[in-house]
Amino acid sequence: MNGLMLVARREISTQIRTKAFLISLAITAVLVGALAFAPKFFDGPDEYTLGTVNSQQLPLEAAAPDAKFEWRSFPDEQAATKAVLDGDVEAVLVDGTKVITDGEIDSQLGVLMQSIHRETKLGAAGVRVEPLQMESVGADTRYEAARTGIAVVLVLVLFMLIIGQVMMVAMGVVEEKGSRIVEILLSAVRPWQLLGGKIIGLGVLGLINLATILVVGLGASFASGFAADFPPGMVGIVAGVLLWFILGYAFFATLAAALSSLVSRQEEVGNVMSPLTMLIMASYFVAFYATNDPTGTVATIVSFIPPFSSMVMPVRMAATEVPMWQVGISVGLMALAVAGTLAFGAKVYERAVLRTGARVKLGEVLRAR
Amino acid sequence: MLEISELRKRFAGGPDSPEGKLALDGISFAVRPGEMFGFVGANGAGKTTTMRIVMGVLKADSGSVSWQGRPLTYTDRQKFGYMPEERGLYQKMRAGEQIEYFGRLHGLSQSAAKQAADDLLQRLGLTERRNSSVESLSLGNQQRVQLAVALVHEPEVLILDEPFSGLDPIAVDALATVLQERCRGGVPVIFSSHQLELVERLCDSVGIVSAGRMVASGTVEDLRAAESRTLRVVVREALPGWADGLPGEVSVTGDRHVLLTTHGDDQEILRRAVKAGRVEHFGVQQPSLTEIFKEAVA
Ligand SMILES: Nc1ncnc2c1ncn2[C@@H]1O[C@H](COP(=O)(O)OP(=O)(O)OP(=O)(O)O)[C@@H](O)[C@H]1O
Ligand SMILES: [Mg+2]
Repeated sequence: MNGLMLVARREISTQIRTKAFLISLAITAVLVGALAFAPKFFDGPDEYTLGTVNSQQLPLEAAAPDAKFEWRSFPDEQAATKAVLDGDVEAVLVDGTKVITDGEIDSQLGVLMQSIHRETKLGAAGVRVEPLQMESVGADTRYEAARTGIAVVLVLVLFMLIIGQVMMVAMGVVEEKGSRIVEILLSAVRPWQLLGGKIIGLGVLGLINLATILVVGLGASFASGFAADFPPGMVGIVAGVLLWFILGYAFFATLAAALSSLVSRQEEVGNVMSPLTMLIMASYFVAFYATNDPTGTVATIVSFIPPFSSMVMPVRMAATEVPMWQVGISVGLMALAVAGTLAFGAKVYERAVLRTGARVKLGEVLRAR
Repeated sequence: MLEISELRKRFAGGPDSPEGKLALDGISFAVRPGEMFGFVGANGAGKTTTMRIVMGVLKADSGSVSWQGRPLTYTDRQKFGYMPEERGLYQKMRAGEQIEYFGRLHGLSQSAAKQAADDLLQRLGLTERRNSSVESLSLGNQQRVQLAVALVHEPEVLILDEPFSGLDPIAVDALATVLQERCRGGVPVIFSSHQLELVERLCDSVGIVSAGRMVASGTVEDLRAAESRTLRVVVREALPGWADGLPGEVSVTGDRHVLLTTHGDDQEILRRAVKAGRVEHFGVQQPSLTEIFKEAVA
């Protein structure tokens, strides 16, 4: 146990001191923070500048509380026309009877002005119109946009972190094998300690990354007001992401260590890892597809199949409400897969890591006593 | 006592040599506590393979290694110090930290590991390079770090594959002193080397391997005794024919007569030489380890 922890600690302390780690952490933090502010820029509240000539301002705020209206008054229609053509105002109400604009009026604004105008006139005539009651009988779609947004960001973050950390595991294994330091390491610790320590250490670094992303993302969302759109159960989504990262990372990292222990040179890592990187990419694509259609049959089925579930399920959990039993079964299956991979990976690693030189064939390793 | 008995190892051959390569052909020897054992042999003789099997890096096809009368286990090996033939260190890690790390992996506490690392760095003349990354060190200094890594946890047994190669004379002496100290502390030390004078100077006993077999082993004195001794006599200003009837060969350069013989009555030869002229040299030539080696592997 002691050896395991020592190995893990070395991984953490070596990586955490490198510039590359700190820089990439800073960059992701800035990107995620910026992302939380993005909706404000692209999708901020509507703002209109309107004018009046010899008219009352229309009480538009009452009907559109999210929008902002600024009113100016002009002495005559000529001045108003000039202001419209200069683009200083979007529309001017003249004599309470007509609206002048430059080209076609913004349709939302047009409908709004028309209906408020009608309402004021009717009110003045003593007619009261009860506003229509709106009621949804379908699923709660209030948070749909926010949920999809969160899911898209999540799938990207999970994918980048998993593939990044998994490649680090592979390169670390080959570094030790290629430099033969593994010969003296294995005279001090057991293969499973060396392998486990490396996976744990780099996993903790991944978690530090993920936690930073979550903290910065959530903090920035509260700061930007985007958090108001958060669906209920955000805590569950965040906890789910952490759990799924751990499961997915454990699965892929163990396989990466097993595969990379077959080769002795860094140049061969990409080659020997290609089936695994393809598997991770495939999980990513399915998960990305699921952000679009989180309740579809494909997404639902795949969210149970390890290792795809490790990316698809967190996406579904963010994008829609997933029943707890489904999450439970999916976690259970994935945990089983991780256990199987650990047994398999440790065996391959133990048998292959001391066989330096030419690439070791996987079949040969499995057949050996 | 560390006992290696009847180790056999055949490496699987490629398509060009389907029968493979027999690297070890029943090698046996034993090293007692406090004994420094020099492991010599031509390139490809099987030294590294033997050491790797002892350290568990390779599996022997047959034969056994035992320590203190029991088959060697993983836990025993954890207390061994090993310097592999192919050096390996974390290139980006600092020298001092690396030595400490290995001390900790072998079970030392944080403070004991630091203490031991500092001590070794000082002994091996690396104190100034404590915080240098390994990759920034010269080859010889990397080698010193590698040695420190093998020594840091006060091993019960030392297995060192060519520990002296690449070291300057000062470092050779420093390492020799450290090894002799450990040895006096009761640690069996096995090291392989091609520097036979060094082996002759340091080792209590020597094993000569050839083609996977131990062809000669014992103390250097024993090995010498087994060799035929050569008597060498140099006489000046002697008359030609002074050595007629004596065994051996005489060669003459100028007025220098040199008699070499491996048998005969040395006292009789001395009397004749004194009578013949001025005796400049009279002595038994000790065969060097190099000569013994060449003889043994021939
Ligand atoms: N991994 C391997 N695969 C195939 N053959 C090997 C392997 N390792 C060693 N051999 C062969 O085993 C024999 C013994 O090699 P070994 O490395 O033990 O020699 P050595 O005595 O250490 O030589 P040197 O003085 O050159 O270090 C050699 O013929 C070598 O070619
Ligand atoms: Mg060798």
